[in-house]
Parts: sequence; C-alpha cells; structure tokens
Amino acid sequence: MRLTWLLALSLSVCAQNPLNDPENPVAGDVAAIETGRKTFVNSCAACHGANGEGGRGPALKEGRVIRRSSDFQMFTTIRKGVAGTDMPGSNLPDDQLWQLVAFVRSLASPAAETPVSGDSVKGERVYAANGCSACHMISGRGGSLGPDLSNAGGMRSYDYLRESVVKPAERVSQGYAKVVVKMRDGRSLEGTARNYSNYDLQLQSRDGKLYLLNSSDIADATVSVQTYMPLDYGKKIARDDLINLLAFLSKQSARPVELKKNSDLQRRGR
Amino acid sequence: MLLPIVGLFVSLLHAQVPDKPVTFDDIKASPNADWLTYAGDYKGTRHSPLSRINAQNARNLVPKWTYHMDTSRKLEVSPIVYGGLMYVTNSNEIHALDARTGRRVWSYRDDRSEISRVNRGAAILGDRVFFVTGDCYLIALHRKTGAVLWTKKYAETKRGYFATLAPLVVKDRVLVGVGGGDTGNRGFLAAYSASTGEQLWQIYTIPGRGEPGSETWSEKLIDWGGADTWLSGTYDPELNLVYWTTGNPWPDFYGGDRRGDNLFACSVIAVNPDTGKMKWYFQFTPHDTHDWDAQGWPVLIDTTINGVMRKALLHANRNGFFYVVDRATGEFLRATPFVDKLDWATGVNAKGRPIEVPGKDPTPTGNKACPGVRGASNWMSPSYNPQTGLFYVVTLEQCDIYVSSAKEPEPMKNFAGGGGELIPTQPGKFYLRALDPKTGKRVWDYPMTGPGTMWAGTVSTAGGVVFFGDDDGHLVAVDAKDGRHLWHYNAGQAMFASPITYEVAGKQYVTIASQTDIVTFGLFEPAASVPVLPGLKKLQ
Repeated sequence: MRLTWLLALSLSVCAQNPLNDPENPVAGDVAAIETGRKTFVNSCAACHGANGEGGRGPALKEGRVIRRSSDFQMFTTIRKGVAGTDMPGSNLPDDQLWQLVAFVRSLASPAAETPVSGDSVKGERVYAANGCSACHMISGRGGSLGPDLSNAGGMRSYDYLRESVVKPAERVSQGYAKVVVKMRDGRSLEGTARNYSNYDLQLQSRDGKLYLLNSSDIADATVSVQTYMPLDYGKKIARDDLINLLAFLSKQSARPVELKKNSDLQRRGR
Repeated sequence: MLLPIVGLFVSLLHAQVPDKPVTFDDIKASPNADWLTYAGDYKGTRHSPLSRINAQNARNLVPKWTYHMDTSRKLEVSPIVYGGLMYVTNSNEIHALDARTGRRVWSYRDDRSEISRVNRGAAILGDRVFFVTGDCYLIALHRKTGAVLWTKKYAETKRGYFATLAPLVVKDRVLVGVGGGDTGNRGFLAAYSASTGEQLWQIYTIPGRGEPGSETWSEKLIDWGGADTWLSGTYDPELNLVYWTTGNPWPDFYGGDRRGDNLFACSVIAVNPDTGKMKWYFQFTPHDTHDWDAQGWPVLIDTTINGVMRKALLHANRNGFFYVVDRATGEFLRATPFVDKLDWATGVNAKGRPIEVPGKDPTPTGNKACPGVRGASNWMSPSYNPQTGLFYVVTLEQCDIYVSSAKEPEPMKNFAGGGGELIPTQPGKFYLRALDPKTGKRVWDYPMTGPGTMWAGTVSTAGGVVFFGDDDGHLVAVDAKDGRHLWHYNAGQAMFASPITYEVAGKQYVTIASQTDIVTFGLFEPAASVPVLPGLKKLQ
C-alpha cells in the first residue's frame, strides 16, 4: 500500500495545516476582523456576496474548502488567485491580506468552536418549551420533519443558526421544502421534498416514512418555497431566551467541542 | 374495481423505503435484491443470486445514472443497498441515494475531521448506518433521514491511527479496524455496540510485551509494529468466527530492527465476535520486508480439498501465493502461485511457511524482487461463483526494485524503512484471473492493457457474469465460465473500487465507483415519454 498511502498522505497534507507555513498574526483579532470586513466589502463582495453568501464566486460562509484550508493557504489563494476561474490575484499589502483571511475565517467557523453568550442549560428548556423536538432530532430523539440538529453547532456558524431560527424563510435547508402530492391512485402524501426533479421525487412524510416516487405515479405535486418551520419564532421567543437557545444549539456537536485559539475574541451573541 | 386499486397500492408500497429495520438474519441472507455489507455476503464471495442480467443479455447493458461527488478525488467505496436506498461514502462523508435514479436523499459530512482519507463504505443494522471518518470516529446515522444517532472516537490520531474501512456488523455489534501501519502504530480490531456505541472489546494484532508471540519481535518496535486492520473482514455465522487480515510490519522495508516473524502481521486472524478472543491465526509472510500486507479478502467456501470436504478460507495474497486454509482450525491446506512473476520463494512448505530464496530482501542500493510492492493482488475484491466453482481475482504481474533504509525508525514521521520502485522498462500488467480452489490451478486469464494503476475488484452473479473494472477505466462483463468478453463501458476515469449488483422493483442494476462518480447500469429499455412531475408548481 505504500504508493497509495504516500499519494494520499501528500494530498491530505496539502489539504490540512502544513507544518512550516506561517500563521496568521491577527487570527481571531476582533479589530482585524472588522478591518478585514471593510476590505472584503470593497474588494471581494461583488463576487462572494456582502456577507460571504456567494454569488458569481463561491459562498464563503459555509464550506469545507474554507474550513479545511490553513490560513496560509487562504492567504496564498487570495494573493495568487485561482487559475482557470474569475478569481484574480491581489496586490494588497500582507497585513491587509491577513486581516481579510481573519474575516473570511470568522464567517465559516462552526458555532461549536466559537464561544457564545447565553446559558445552554436554559437554552435546552427554551428548546423544549417551544416544541422544537417535534420536528428536529438531537442524538436520536425528536422528529424528522426538520433537519437533524445533533451536529448543528458542529457544522453551522452561529449566524446561520440565528438566521435559521429568526428568519427561517430565508434559510430553507436543502431537502426540507414542504411538499404535497396527490398520487394517481388518489392517495395523498405530504412531507418534505428531500429531493426532486422533473422525473422523480424523494418524499419524507410527517411520520418519517420515505417514498421514492416517479413522476408517472404522481397526479399533482406542490413544492413550497416554505418549510414547516414556524415563521414567528423571531418575535415569539424573548431575546434572552433566543440567546440561550442559540447557546444550546451551538453546543450540539458530533465531536467534542474544541474552542479555537484566540476565538474568545470572536464572542458572538452580544 | 378492486384489482386496479390493489395494483396501485402495491406500487406505492414498492415506492416506500421499508419500515422494517435490517436484522442480523437479513445480513446473513444478503445478497439478494439488497446488498447489505461491503462484500455483499458475510462469506466474502461477492456472488449475487440475481440473474435478470445474464451472459445472454449483458450486451444490452446501458448506463442508468451517474452520481457525481464533487468533493472526491478517488472513490474507493463499495456501496451498500437496502430497500431502494444506496449508501455511498467518501472521505468523511456519507450519502444516501435513490438507487433507481441516483438522486440524493440525504448526506452527512464531517468537515472537522483531522484527517482526509479515502473511505471504503458503510454498514447497516436496524435503522442505523455506520461509517468511519479519517480520524477514527465511528458514526451511526438514521438510515432514512441521516440524523446522527451517536458518534464514537475509537482511535487516537496522535498514536498514528487513521481509518478508511467499511465497518463490519456482526450480530448486535460493529467491528472496526485502523490504518496507519506504514508509519508506525499498533494495529487492533474493536467491537462497539450498534445501539449505543459502547466499546465491547478490543484486541491488538501485535502481542503485548511478554504475551505469546511477543518473542517474534525485537523489543524496540513491538509497540509500533503496525499489523493494521484497514480492510473489513468476513464472517462465518456457523463457526461464529470473524476472519480479518492484517497489514505489514513496520518499518515496511527494513527488518533489522524487528527480527523474528513479527506476529500477527501479514496474517489472517480468526476471532470470536462475542468475546474478541483470537481462536487461531495463520501468517502468510513471516518477517515481511516487501510491504506485502495480507489485507485482502478471506473468502469462505465449503469445497473438496485433496479429496476431503473442507470449510475452506481462500486468500490470494500479495506475496503471489493463493492459499487455502481450514477456517475452523487454521490448518494450512495448500498454497499455489497465482502469478508468474514470483521469485522470492520457491514454494510453501507443509506448514504453510514460504521457502524463501536468499538475497531477495530490499537493500540500500535496490534489489529486484517479484511480486512488486502493490502485490500479486491487493485489497480489491475477488469473488467466487459456486456454479462455476471458480474464484475470480484481479492480479498484477509486476516486479519492483526494493530499497531499504536502516535509518533510526521514528514512529509517525512518515518513515517506512525504504520503498518499492517501478522498473521503467517493465511496467506491471493486470489480469482478471479465474482460479479453481479445488486444485489451485488457473483456469482462464483476461488480460488488461492499461497503465497498471487501479484497485478495481469484481462481482459475480448467478446470471453467469463476472463484472470488474480494468485499468483503462472500463467496467467489463465477462462470461463466468470462460472469461469471454460480453460487454464493456468506458467510465472515463480510473477505478479504485469494486462493483456491486442489486435489484429495485424488479430491475437489476450494477454499480461501480469510478474516480469521482458512482455509475450505475441496467438493461436497455426504450425510453417512455413520462409526464414531468405533473402539475409541479412552486408557491412563491
């Protein structure tokens, strides 16, 4: 296996943090992140979106590419650009580039790795009191009409979680659009469209059953841009309760939570 | 009016992924329409009873769907299929697909894994599917929703471990192993409760100091000698034994610091899955210095060997010999060369120990030996068809120059004690080879012409077809009897995975992972004009 392993190792080393690359001197620094944000708005937002949500260029808010790149790899990408794409190189001074890296990194940090305000124990009570578990599952407990939250803090940024609660209409997770189907045999099915195309539909019903349907089985289907998630939690949940709820959700992680170095400076939820 | 209603009701039932959880008995009965474990069946024969696709109609195979994984560089997954859902893995991620259409139903990705490696597949039991991350988390997810049910870190990367294997479910437990033995660690096999993730047992594949077998190691490296368990094993429910092959001793190419046979490296071990106790072991290559891992499938069949009916274990080892061992006792029965390029041993003695040719060890300046470092075969899956009585194995005829380095071995510093180098004027050549386990003799060969780079294996079917990937990026179907070509398809990319076959709603499919895609084939049907999702409208 030697040859394969060596190849795989060299690739994985590239994808991870090389030992001798310089570290970002301003990693996690709040002032640097803010300055980086300004640079981002001027130089990057046209393609990557004002908040890194993507556009002509890829989204930077969520994503494996950002998370798996070292700060230096990100620095080099911004400096040199990406061959074969519209991404040009940058001639900004090094210190501004490092600030930019700190900002982009802050966009994509999972909530579990970012210290947040709020009391997660109280947040768990908010979660229960609002009936979240009717539709969401954590560690195998709860419903399946909405996304599993067992790794919500491990895979989503704090901002993403917050927006998902207070502005769910703007944050429809892929695979959770509401769908109502009338089958040719007259039966009806309702649930979430885990996926669909012109020719097929993968439907999860409210009771968790999964149907793999062909278009030829279906008489009528309505896929909504909305989800089952109530739209009024932003108003219904008091501000402190919301912060506690987000603290609880941020803590949900498929692996032990490791707070990032310096990330106490990136405190969220204030 | 009753009949049409019944008919339609049945069609909806067909469309529903079964509520019935997967049981241990289901896995014992696999493969049928489903393919419930890496090798399809516990015994590793990778032989399907499906025959809708057969030697007569295989020429009518056409691509049905492709699932592209844009995060992938090199898929090594062998999918599993249950109730119309297919589960495929890549490095630190798993996807559930509609097996008829290739459309994704759910996916889960762990971006925070410390290690990004290939991944070879998932396992299933109850309502849970299991896979491992590169940094050795065993993860259980709900088969229908992808919800994370539990996670368990089972090995430490700081001790040199990583993980690539498809877990093996036996009874109520999930068995996992580790990789990393090429840079030093201590191999082990462990079992976890499928319902809770609690560890049930763990055994090391290198004895502890003072334990039996420890005398086969120098003191210096016994804690870091490798013997990893990076491929799944096979299982005999009647004997209640799991068979797991083990990796090379470390450093791979320099044996001076690990004098002795280096048990239980380059071996197959038989383990009771209830207790984790090793019942027997058989070492193929004592004191290996050519990186001839034994990691390859132990295939379990009952057959006549030397006139006696045996519960046999078949294994085509990288060292170039095709072994038959009694799987109840570990008694060596026979070994025959299955490649021509084999010069390190003249044969195998009555106990199964190779009769070595002196002077074939790696040297600082380089020393030619055969087979090459990738072995006469490797981890790609062989298969066995009980109807033809033939064992189908992808083999590589190649020699390499083996170089050694006596540098002080430092674990986890990317040191292997040397390496194997291709001889530029003598590239390797792959064959699909049919062997007769009764005699150990070759029955037919199917030569390949590509660059000699791939890890594609085989699947055999009751339709009398063997499917395999060649080193030109083709999926190929040949007649199981005589290796006659039936059909091929250029997937456009090298293949590093083994095909499977399954059935949904009365249609048989064949699937293989090419480098970045999962590609599925079925018999040609004239296209029927279908209504696009009728009345589909999006509410604004």
